Amino acid sequence: MIAILALFPSTPARTQTEVETEISAKGNVKSPLLLARFRGGSGAESFANGARDVARHDFELSGVFSVHDVEALEGKLQPDPAQQGTVRVEGIVETSGSGLRFTGTVYDVGTGEQVFQRLYPFARTELRSTMHRFNDDVLEALTGDRGIAETKIAFVRHSGKFKEVWISDYDGENARQLTHDRSIALSPAWAPWGTEVAFTTYKRGNPDLYLFDFSRGASFPFSTRPGLNTAPVYSPDGKWIACTLTRDGNAEIYLISRDAQTARRLTRNQRIDSSPSFSPTGRELVFTSDRSGSPQVYVMDTEGSNQRLLTLEGKYNDSPQWSPKGDKIVYASRHDAIFDVIVMDANGRNPVQITFQAGHNENPRWSADGRKIYFSSSRSGRRQLYMMNTDGSDVTQLTRGEESFNPATGPRSRRRVPTAKAAGSG
Amino acid sequence: MSRPRIVTLAFAVILAAALATLGCSSRKQVQTETPPAPPPPTETADTTPPPPPPSTSETTEPTETASGLQDAFFDYDEAAIRSDARAALEANGRYLERNAGRNIIVEGHCDERGSVEYNLALGERRARAAKDFLVSYGIAANRMTTISYGKERPFAQGSSEEAWAQNRRAHFVSK
Repeated sequence: MIAILALFPSTPARTQTEVETEISAKGNVKSPLLLARFRGGSGAESFANGARDVARHDFELSGVFSVHDVEALEGKLQPDPAQQGTVRVEGIVETSGSGLRFTGTVYDVGTGEQVFQRLYPFARTELRSTMHRFNDDVLEALTGDRGIAETKIAFVRHSGKFKEVWISDYDGENARQLTHDRSIALSPAWAPWGTEVAFTTYKRGNPDLYLFDFSRGASFPFSTRPGLNTAPVYSPDGKWIACTLTRDGNAEIYLISRDAQTARRLTRNQRIDSSPSFSPTGRELVFTSDRSGSPQVYVMDTEGSNQRLLTLEGKYNDSPQWSPKGDKIVYASRHDAIFDVIVMDANGRNPVQITFQAGHNENPRWSADGRKIYFSSSRSGRRQLYMMNTDGSDVTQLTRGEESFNPATGPRSRRRVPTAKAAGSG
Repeated sequence: MSRPRIVTLAFAVILAAALATLGCSSRKQVQTETPPAPPPPTETADTTPPPPPPSTSETTEPTETASGLQDAFFDYDEAAIRSDARAALEANGRYLERNAGRNIIVEGHCDERGSVEYNLALGERRARAAKDFLVSYGIAANRMTTISYGKERPFAQGSSEEAWAQNRRAHFVSK
């Protein structure tokens, strides 16, 4: 059976072979992956090279594999027990009617057995998305936990005097502008079904919450109460949006039903409460409050009860987000006049700094599979988006040029909208 | 990126004089658009002298300019009214008494450090602190509305203490 156990202790085994893993001194776990030169059928040679480039990029970014380049397999793969735990990926791109097709095959090098094979017909414009699907399929087959190469991210790009919400592929490719408010748009958050983004915009003067509906290609007001309508985040079931309102005089956290019919106030004090994030069960919220005099990370039940301090170290802790598996919380901490990303246990124990001495590192957000953390950093000058493994390794820059910040990671699947009547009105 | 500014002739003259005095003529253009004398952050609130009247002759909309109103500056991660801000707000109170027909928007602004979301909340606190001061001074609350821009509309570009001190402010705009 396949067992990348140290990484995925609870995921079900999907195949019959055993893939062991290396454990590096840093605690980072990666499986060796031998990536063969892809074969190209007549007329598809350049697509074979292009497909392999995307596959290599995806396997490297997955955080699961260390990729090694090898020649394509000649004949049958012989078992090599010395390379137990190593996988080998072969690919071929051929023309198929007016389009193309890719066949991806994965072997367990230790046993010589084929552990995955799939055929992907695709149009010439779908090379990247096809290889992203292959990557996610391979990760699901080998680990039981699908990858994020097919997911999207939303973020804010600062262009001229405007800030607009943009979306891109998970790796920053294919970036396109979502809002055209010609104003200040901030803090995008994905609906769990993947076709809607909540965000704050000043387009009508006040910082209001809007919902951008991809199917209609337009945004609609959601909360336009006087004062701030900011820091939105959807509950895991998609029925609620937690956010910050200042209708009461200072920043308080509210739950507003997505049909905008119900608003429930959760915090009550004279200081700032902001930046809520749901636990994966939807029963708790982690958030920022400066009720002690400086910003710290707190947790409460979604009824607003049982509010308590989580962060025990650091004078300034902000932007918490609960991990998809529920075991960790990531946040940004100010120390020595700079910001860095910290990961701690969900009970506030064992905070570990994972960015180091390279500008301000802020806005941390888990990828949908919990294997990566996105963040913004000023390490190269103006803020840009980066992603890294959860131990801080493999930092990869995703955006360049104009300033980008406020990353929001999209879900892995596009599901149905939770209730039929819940349109983005309000 | 700086937002577009209308610099009046009078302000430009003052600015040029101030820059010559301060020996800052080598600054980049984007920085010379900022008011010349950023107030220092206060360590002890009652020993800081009031800053020279900061220029309010620049806003996004020239028609909204309220040249009689002074900005109130804040310490880092604070919304408490400093002594220099008290002087500025009292001057604004006198101005609003003299101009009873004028209603204003109080903008809260922050420096670039910290999250978008926290700074929006902090800017709201600053705007409301300035408004509350003016209400205590005797200005009718219904003449003033507040809005926070957090760190999204800095007056001074750059990552210096000077720029940060300039950007932590309550700014007043005529309605």
